[in-house]
Amino acid sequence: MSSAPHSMSGGQASSALVQSRWTDGSMDALVRKRYASERRFRALGFAAVALSVAFLAFLLATMVAKGASGLTMGFLTGSDSTDPAMAGVWGALKGSFLTIIVTMAIALPVGVLSALYLEEFAPRNRWTDLIEVSINNLAAVPSIIFGLLGLAVFLNFMHLPRSAPLVGGLTLALMTMPVIVIAGRNAVKAVPPSIRDAALGVGASKMQVVFHHVLPLALPGILTGTIIGMARALGETAPLLMIGMRAFIASPPQGITDPSSVLPVQIFLWSDEVDRAFVEKTSAAIIVLLVFMLLMNGLAIYLRNRFERRW
Amino acid sequence: MSLTIALVAILLVAAAAGFFAYRKVKGLRRSGERLNSLPIYHAVHVLLWAAAPALLFLAVWSPVQNMLVEQAVLATPAGRALPDFEMQRDSILEEARDIALGAREAGFNPESTTLAPIYKSEMSRFALAGGLVSILISLVAALFALRRLGVQFRARTAVERWLTVLLVGASLIAILTTLGIVLSLLFESMRFFSMVNAGEFLFGTTWSPQTAIRADQAGSSGAFGSVPLFWGTVFIGAIIAMIVAVPLGLMCAIFLTQYAPRKLRAWLKPILEILAGVPTVVYGYFAALTVAPIVRDFGLAIGVSSASSESALAAGLVMGIMIIPFVSSMADDSIAAVPQAMRDGSLALGATQSETIKKVILPAALPGVVGGVLLAVSRAIGETMIVVMAAGLAANLTLNPFESVTTVTTQIVQLLTGDQEFDSAKTLAAFALGLALFVITLILNLIALRVVRKYQEAYE
Amino acid sequence: MTKEKQSIVPNPVTSTAVAAEAAADQRDTMGGESPIEVRSVDLSQDALEDQTAASSTDDERTTKMRARDVHVFYGSNEAIKGVDVDIHDDKVTAFIGPSGCGKSTFLRCLNRMNDTIAGARVTGSISLDGQDVYASDMDVVQLRARVGMVFQKPNPFPKSIYENVAYGPRIHGLANGKSELDSIVEGSLKRAGLWDEVKDRLDESGTALSGGQQQRLCIARAIAVDPEVILMDEPCSALDPIATAKIEELIHELRGRYAIAIVTHNMQQAARVSQRTAFFHLGEMVEYGRTKDIFTNPRQQRTQDYITGRYG
Repeated sequence: MSSAPHSMSGGQASSALVQSRWTDGSMDALVRKRYASERRFRALGFAAVALSVAFLAFLLATMVAKGASGLTMGFLTGSDSTDPAMAGVWGALKGSFLTIIVTMAIALPVGVLSALYLEEFAPRNRWTDLIEVSINNLAAVPSIIFGLLGLAVFLNFMHLPRSAPLVGGLTLALMTMPVIVIAGRNAVKAVPPSIRDAALGVGASKMQVVFHHVLPLALPGILTGTIIGMARALGETAPLLMIGMRAFIASPPQGITDPSSVLPVQIFLWSDEVDRAFVEKTSAAIIVLLVFMLLMNGLAIYLRNRFERRW
Repeated sequence: MSLTIALVAILLVAAAAGFFAYRKVKGLRRSGERLNSLPIYHAVHVLLWAAAPALLFLAVWSPVQNMLVEQAVLATPAGRALPDFEMQRDSILEEARDIALGAREAGFNPESTTLAPIYKSEMSRFALAGGLVSILISLVAALFALRRLGVQFRARTAVERWLTVLLVGASLIAILTTLGIVLSLLFESMRFFSMVNAGEFLFGTTWSPQTAIRADQAGSSGAFGSVPLFWGTVFIGAIIAMIVAVPLGLMCAIFLTQYAPRKLRAWLKPILEILAGVPTVVYGYFAALTVAPIVRDFGLAIGVSSASSESALAAGLVMGIMIIPFVSSMADDSIAAVPQAMRDGSLALGATQSETIKKVILPAALPGVVGGVLLAVSRAIGETMIVVMAAGLAANLTLNPFESVTTVTTQIVQLLTGDQEFDSAKTLAAFALGLALFVITLILNLIALRVVRKYQEAYE
Repeated sequence: MTKEKQSIVPNPVTSTAVAAEAAADQRDTMGGESPIEVRSVDLSQDALEDQTAASSTDDERTTKMRARDVHVFYGSNEAIKGVDVDIHDDKVTAFIGPSGCGKSTFLRCLNRMNDTIAGARVTGSISLDGQDVYASDMDVVQLRARVGMVFQKPNPFPKSIYENVAYGPRIHGLANGKSELDSIVEGSLKRAGLWDEVKDRLDESGTALSGGQQQRLCIARAIAVDPEVILMDEPCSALDPIATAKIEELIHELRGRYAIAIVTHNMQQAARVSQRTAFFHLGEMVEYGRTKDIFTNPRQQRTQDYITGRYG
């Protein structure tokens, strides 16, 4: 090792600078280079973030620029039409609404009940492990596969009406359920054991503990996860294309068994149109969709911040 | 009667039985007896017994009924006169059913109009039988449950057992779904592989899926070599998109965790989440509308004459940007999991922040980052809308990013859009592709999980 | 035989302090032996020198770091309230006091590790060899190389033993070539008393070592960048007694080569190991002086109460 900096017995003034490589300036050039490298690295990080945000801004600005003029009342209340001047999103909006209701009606109870079972009641054995693995895998399966499943089972095997919100909702429910289960499990896990112990202590049965105490406390987390899952389902296109939602639907659906479209599919169909006038319609529809997404995500974040308890 | 009437009847029976049980048990309580469970539990118990078996029966009966009706119709003289060709016969039957249900006025085939009234009468016959049986079941079950009522009866336990069944059932739906996916994909793929050689499918390099519509049609040769499709998927999703997403996502995560002041981070994280929340159809449209022309013009400008307006580069770029939040958030989690002590140890030695990140923190966080990248690849491979709208339909084995390629997901959509003859090799090919996609993403996810678990340093 | 003034309240700590210090002084001149064994005191020249009232000019001459009126604020909360202390380059200075009284916080000021904590503010003056540590032209990177730190819980990097020690020299560019780096690593590990135990397995992971070995590895890592001061923040609190003894012996060996400041909540350890002690209480430095004096004849009542165990 180089440099013998100091000796024990005197000979040096205490405040004099000890002569070592650190104080004789020999390291300065190298250190300056290292600081420059540090600045570059930091700038790179900032650039990455700036680039991503800029792309988002570019995308939003383009959509608004091309579509804002199309956001008329007629657009929002009219149904699809071959004439771009007449085309509106009301049919697709209603279809989306009905589809989401079906999705929620199935995915939410099944998801919550599954989460409760897996967290509170399930014994640790191979079957429950299998269920867990299934759910985690399902959450990562591409959405188009669920579309194929819907096609094979709901349409071809069960002969449900094609292109209906019922089938679309069922398919999306299967896709959203794992998301709700995972969010629900996390929410239930966050409830401290002391609450359960207290309820058991006054003589409640396990079922009562879960439904009267744990579930209400886990509800905000479950709700947040559900809203995020719903927002994702709202924006899904591929699975619904598979179950037949790609035809021209001139009138809004009356019930969940009528053929209908949904907003993202409508966007997709319009994007294929050759007539350039549809560009404005497509962009306007995208604005509507994005507004919904923002509202839902914002609601989820608001709920999370408002109701999340720090135990 | 229709099954809906039976449904309503069952619910009425159940409600009545439940109400009756409630009154009876409350009466018991009023007369001074001490009950094991609250009256409401008794009521619910009775209600469940009255409703559940009957509803279950109805749920099973519905599809069975369809089959029985069809068989009965085919047994009649008019039914026996139908053509033998399965596809034609099935479509006639379907039309007849639709007319009988009132969903349409008349079909393309004249036979369906004559069959319709027969269909209708058979349907009402079987519906009546099924409905009566289900109501009977409901009544019997209700009586059986009512007899069990009593002071000693552990109604709450009984109801909780029902609830447990419900909970387990809900959880099993997850397995059922996975099973459903695997089975339906396998089943249809098996049918496909009976028509097309599996080896050709997996290793062939020509993709030209044409098949006969009718058995007697000419010019029906088709090539089902899927290699160009998988190449397109990999090229766009695993190569181009990752070249964009991994560096940007990683640097975003590093900036957010190490350099950004708290207030900036509080704003930037939600913005990145918004990036992740934009529907892929919007990305696809933006890619096709704005990015693709820019890429094509750029390609032409630098001398690539084959630059297409449906280039792999445009789709890959936009897909990469869509995936940035995934990579960033997983890298974020891994970096945050590295203990502060590691960072302090490096800084105390006189390292700069970037040196600490590059030489201590990132190596320690690497398993998590790699796992995140694998999951991102899995996501990119399964992505549909961006490639459907921005990439092309031409199966093309090329290294040129300015050219047009097609992907597995695009072809699945393409094959199932348009004329649907469900038994043809063309439509079944979609299921084979879907099976391959499912298997590949499953393997990627499992590898990602193992990598993280195996190499992650255990920090106390 | 030197007779020590009987303290008012005889207690095991002070006797230990006296005996240990004498033993330590003797050892320095006569070659290392276990500090646990207390031998009869045999005065040596150095020991005598140390036991006479230290000449203030001697102290002046060997002052390595000087802190005057240091305050540390975390946001609006004042954690350190005016501390004056010196660290000498030939002595071990111990910071003692009950938990949470700011010892570690103050220690972290000396190498500006508090800079990494958002909202931390340091006032007053801290100087190294007369240079203000917090001056705007003071290079933090070089400062931290000169003032090394060993942490409470051993924190080796998840790399090999060799790479752990080589990390510092590598980033500072201290070695030209592999053989020089090898010799730096070997020298540091030898100085930290770890070489014999790991010389055959330098490629093994640093985290696979025992707790005591990991801490010595961290000391070797700090030594490898050629520091002048070594700060130790409760280095033995996570270790068993045997590992602790080895570390304490190491401190004895390192003393003189490096100025050492050690934070410890273990009074006996401070008595065994240090020549100067500062007693911290609730963010203030209550008393600072020779270790012997602090433990046998403290001037402040609070110090007395702490030493005698009135509060923990």
